[in-house]
Amino acid sequence: MSHKVPVANKIKTDLHEILEVRNLTESTFVMRFERKGMEFEAGQHICVGPPNGIHTREYSIYSAEEDDFIEILVKEVENGLVSPSLKKLQKGGFVVVEEPVGYFTINKDLPKNQKYVFIASGTGISPFHSFVQSKPGIDYTLLHGVKYGSEGYESEKYDKKRYVKCTSREGTGNYYGRVTDYLKENKFGKDVQYFLCGNCNMIHDVYDILEDQGVSTDNIHAEVYF
Amino acid sequence: MFQLAKKRVGFKTLGCRLNQFETDAMASKFVAMGYDVVEDSKDTDVFVVNTCTVTNQSDQKSRYAVNHALKNGHSGMLIITGCMANHHKEALETQYPNAYVVDNENKSAIPQLVQAHFNKEIVPANTAQGGVFNYAPASETFHTRSMIKIQDGCDNFCTFCIIPKVRGRATSRSVEAVLENIREVVGFGYKEVVITGVNISRYEHEGVKFSGLLAKILELPLDFRVRISSIEPDSFDEEFFALLKHPKMTPHLHLCLQSASESILLQMRRMYTYRSYKEIIERLRDINPQFNITTDIIVGFPGETEDDFKASLDAVDQIGFGHVHTFKYSKRDNTRAARMTDVVPEKVKSERSQQLRKKAAEAKRSYRQQFIGSEQTVLVEKIDKRGFAHGYGEYYVPVQFKADEVKKNGLYKVKLIGLTDSKEEPVLMGQLSE
Repeated sequence: MSHKVPVANKIKTDLHEILEVRNLTESTFVMRFERKGMEFEAGQHICVGPPNGIHTREYSIYSAEEDDFIEILVKEVENGLVSPSLKKLQKGGFVVVEEPVGYFTINKDLPKNQKYVFIASGTGISPFHSFVQSKPGIDYTLLHGVKYGSEGYESEKYDKKRYVKCTSREGTGNYYGRVTDYLKENKFGKDVQYFLCGNCNMIHDVYDILEDQGVSTDNIHAEVYF
Repeated sequence: MFQLAKKRVGFKTLGCRLNQFETDAMASKFVAMGYDVVEDSKDTDVFVVNTCTVTNQSDQKSRYAVNHALKNGHSGMLIITGCMANHHKEALETQYPNAYVVDNENKSAIPQLVQAHFNKEIVPANTAQGGVFNYAPASETFHTRSMIKIQDGCDNFCTFCIIPKVRGRATSRSVEAVLENIREVVGFGYKEVVITGVNISRYEHEGVKFSGLLAKILELPLDFRVRISSIEPDSFDEEFFALLKHPKMTPHLHLCLQSASESILLQMRRMYTYRSYKEIIERLRDINPQFNITTDIIVGFPGETEDDFKASLDAVDQIGFGHVHTFKYSKRDNTRAARMTDVVPEKVKSERSQQLRKKAAEAKRSYRQQFIGSEQTVLVEKIDKRGFAHGYGEYYVPVQFKADEVKKNGLYKVKLIGLTDSKEEPVLMGQLSE
């Protein structure tokens, strides 16, 4: 009997034209580029880099599954190798994009009325933007930890009743303090699916808090940003 | 009548079981082509080094295997394949201009490449299309267990790991091809099959996931036992735990831990926590209190503090591992961890590695000790000159026993009566049961 023989499935890389750049703060921007038929699930990430270099960096996809373009949320890292180069690129330029990968996605077998809590720090809000835009009617609460109120990153796109901006350096958000403090004061329950995205320390602390609240590790999903 | 001497092909295999599977499959094909197959380069017409690149040490060992063959006068055809060939193709071709450097994608076409070489056809390696699953079932291999490749590639992208870049995206073999492979190797006489791949828990083919495939394998109405090779603890389901109770399943998993520090696991981008790992262990030991858990642990990952390391050290006792494969972290270019700055000095890595190995050796002895007085079904791998049979019981612990009228590749009930003194690799000593 003969079978179709798959070959090694190398990661595909392509050049994508930049369609738009939206500056959200001095250092943070949304870059929109051609989709070119790229399939992805909300929560997955791609490696993106300037067209003339060999370096790329991982970015969670910011746009929705149904959009006919791809967007990423980028924060320029001081002395970084890739993000300062991306910051210089303009509409009409090109970026190198690797195909999407990752398992930080919503399990399709979960019931439609499943409750979710999304916990982000900084640009870790990116996959949650994609979740919310891709899945209309999803029952979520989004906790966004930032230093200053200006780092809300298009917070108007979320339902006000479902979005909690936690500002740690000034009282201009919905909650003055860290996202971890908010979580200690506000329990969401054991049956909720928790998605965490951001820096290691935040994720580490949130794991501890949720464990203290009796949440099973099966209900906690994490994507680390470095 | 003048008879042409048989050609000889030698193999050196480094790294994972997937490489072993692929070597076995190639070796078997060479046997079918009329070659003698040996495990070194001496007097061979063709020498194949199936390399590994998972650590710097793997790279060094792979290069050593090639250099050793050349130093010992190998003048026949030289083939370098495996993950190092994918990762350092150009450098290898420059360093060894007479070698064929064949990437993983084309590894299964090596026998055709060799034929073409001896037919004096100029066939570049990259035109002999292989395919990652295009290996015929191996009837004669270097092992008594038959490796069954179900999957290749990985999409996990752990920050320290270069494998997704060299093995590519995850891809799974069809259910029917896997079952057919098992039917054939059991037909060849194999008593044990080892399910293998780069990341087998992510197996998925036309809606059938790993547990679904395993259920179908176990349902095959044939006489064999099943072992699962290295598996990631990040996607177990209830069906999997239920299948582990099946009489054909052996009570052993190589469950990669890498670190028992929660913060290091996050930095490694592993998709589980130490808490969830321990929950899995509890489930396994509920099924069978002697369930053998072996693992890999990396020491000296960037940012690993003394406390982080101590967590891994403590885990050896907490889990009661049957074996720990200790790796010193080595930086792999083009990985996320290569850009991490909080590097652990080499001296500290070596000290930690030594401590962990010592602890692991104690745990191994303690684990194996508990089998004294019990009986195991041993698959005999070899019989030495002194007449002792050597093999592995169902728990994947090595056993030796006096072997009158015992045959290689046979399964024997053995009563375990003691443990050898070796610190690193104590072997259970036994005697044939009545």
